[in-house]
Amino acid sequence: MLAMNKIKILGITVITIAATVVITSCKDKRSTGWEYAPNMYEHIAYDPDQPNPNFKDGKTAQKPPVGTIPVGFTTFDYPNTKDGYELAGTEVKSPLPQTQQNFADGEILFQHFCSPCHGMTGQGDGLVVAHGFPAPPSYSKGQSSRGGAMKDLSDGKIYHTVTYGVNAMGSYASQLAPEERWKVIMYVHHLQTL
Amino acid sequence: MRSISLILKQFSRSVVLVAGFAICGFSAYAQGDAVKGEALFKSKCTTCHKLDQRLIGPALGPQLESETDDKWLTKWIQNNQALISAKDQKALKIYNEYNQSAMTVFGDLSDGDVSNIISYVRTEYKKEKTAAPAAGAAQAKAAESGPSDLVIFGLIGVIVLAFIVILVLNKVIATLERLLLKRQGLEPLLEEEPKEEGAPVDRFALVKKLAKNKKFIFFVVLCGILASVSWTWMTLWNTNVHTGYQPVQPIKFPHDLHAGTMQINCQYCHSGAYKSKNASIPSLNICMNCHKVVKTESPEIHKIYDALGYDPATQKYDSTKSRPMQWIRIHNLPDFAYFNHSQHVKVAGLKCQQCHGPVETMKEVYQYSPLTMKWCIQCHKRTEVNMKGNAYYEKMEQVHDILRKGGKVTEAMMGGIECGKCHY
Repeated sequence: MLAMNKIKILGITVITIAATVVITSCKDKRSTGWEYAPNMYEHIAYDPDQPNPNFKDGKTAQKPPVGTIPVGFTTFDYPNTKDGYELAGTEVKSPLPQTQQNFADGEILFQHFCSPCHGMTGQGDGLVVAHGFPAPPSYSKGQSSRGGAMKDLSDGKIYHTVTYGVNAMGSYASQLAPEERWKVIMYVHHLQTL
Repeated sequence: MRSISLILKQFSRSVVLVAGFAICGFSAYAQGDAVKGEALFKSKCTTCHKLDQRLIGPALGPQLESETDDKWLTKWIQNNQALISAKDQKALKIYNEYNQSAMTVFGDLSDGDVSNIISYVRTEYKKEKTAAPAAGAAQAKAAESGPSDLVIFGLIGVIVLAFIVILVLNKVIATLERLLLKRQGLEPLLEEEPKEEGAPVDRFALVKKLAKNKKFIFFVVLCGILASVSWTWMTLWNTNVHTGYQPVQPIKFPHDLHAGTMQINCQYCHSGAYKSKNASIPSLNICMNCHKVVKTESPEIHKIYDALGYDPATQKYDSTKSRPMQWIRIHNLPDFAYFNHSQHVKVAGLKCQQCHGPVETMKEVYQYSPLTMKWCIQCHKRTEVNMKGNAYYEKMEQVHDILRKGGKVTEAMMGGIECGKCHY
């Protein structure tokens, strides 16, 4: 090694320093960094949230064709009107059995999806409300905007509200599957008694 | 006579007093008590109404300014349903304008309560209207005071410049003086130079000695090369590893505010994480659950409105103008790795933060974990499986029991005919 002449040593030094500078200097948090053969990182199969040139609207996530329903899906054929609400209130009942498991699932789902506004105990005092969102009425003490006390709301009325939304509340149909909605309602019935 | 006049005087005084009180009382009733009205307004009305903006119902400030028939207003507030079913023209117009969403019936509010609320709304809206131009003026003033800041900075700049000029001039003078001295006679220079040179010679003697030592030089160069080679190696080793990747997203969505301060659960928006392979990027309707009502003035929120074709003034959607929001993917696994969120979140019960890091503190999300195979395997080697109370593993245990008893097990019994096993 020591027999190497000055020029060789100098050459190696220069090459290494240059390589180090070139390779390590381009660190930018806005880029993914060095890529080698990224073929399978750039997916051939489309993910649901990717653009897709094969469809007219350019989206991979397509809506199901009109008039079709997924296997095992229960439809809710009540329109988003006052009459539909009242009718659902008298006709629709929860299909779920009253089990501890369903109740526990409902509690978690309620905490994840409803408590930001309705509060952990359904009093309409969630953290989002504390930051300026209009407060919803309390489940146990409030009055419903569609008549009657909140604590008297039936299965079907709550299901109609969760599905379509009302007033400042949006529809939760895209976030909660029908069965999950029923689990939440099971827990809401408990909060109505508080 | 004197006594009569005195009596008259006293009488007239009391009459004036009583009349005065009566007028005060009457006017107080007619105007309503705004202070009492405020409490009522905040407990009963703010769910659906704002003073200056349309919410679920009309903006009450302008509405009550144009509608002066207090009797009709009282009827409407106490029982709007009765007015609508009685086919009152005004009532029907409002009912239809606001998408036939029925207002709560406030049978518990007395006439006095209602007039209190009305007077609160009117006075408060007037205050806001007068405050708004004042605020504008204040802003203008602030803008006017802007140039004064500029002047201050300018002055500071001039002073700094002056200092620099003085320093440069000083140097020039010093060199000129030295030149003059050189011409006049070399004595002062000769006197100074040895003193100055003496110190550096001592200081660099060791360095000069080492510089002549070839072995030492070789050692230093070798160390330098090794360091830079290992640095390069580490960088290259992280090829295709995107840790720390933090792209600029189309909307500045702050996770620290939503998931941190407001403590909205991850599942609220990424509801797919518990039930599918994808954690799913929330569609804009989920943003609209709240932002139909809050932060409606923010330019970032208006990006959502534009993408949806939503008009905040009429609260109507125009689906012909809608286009998808193109978020930039941060966590990207190559196609040769299959990863399922629900398996980890629902079955294993992992917290999102274990892989995604403290998202609730991130203003802008970045990739926290390397997502390399080594990283996956390390966790899979170390994590103990909790089989109790877990339907997924209970099924597997059942299959094992059948096998132990010598029974037949089919693919279908292990979930082999679930659609997602093949069509994922």
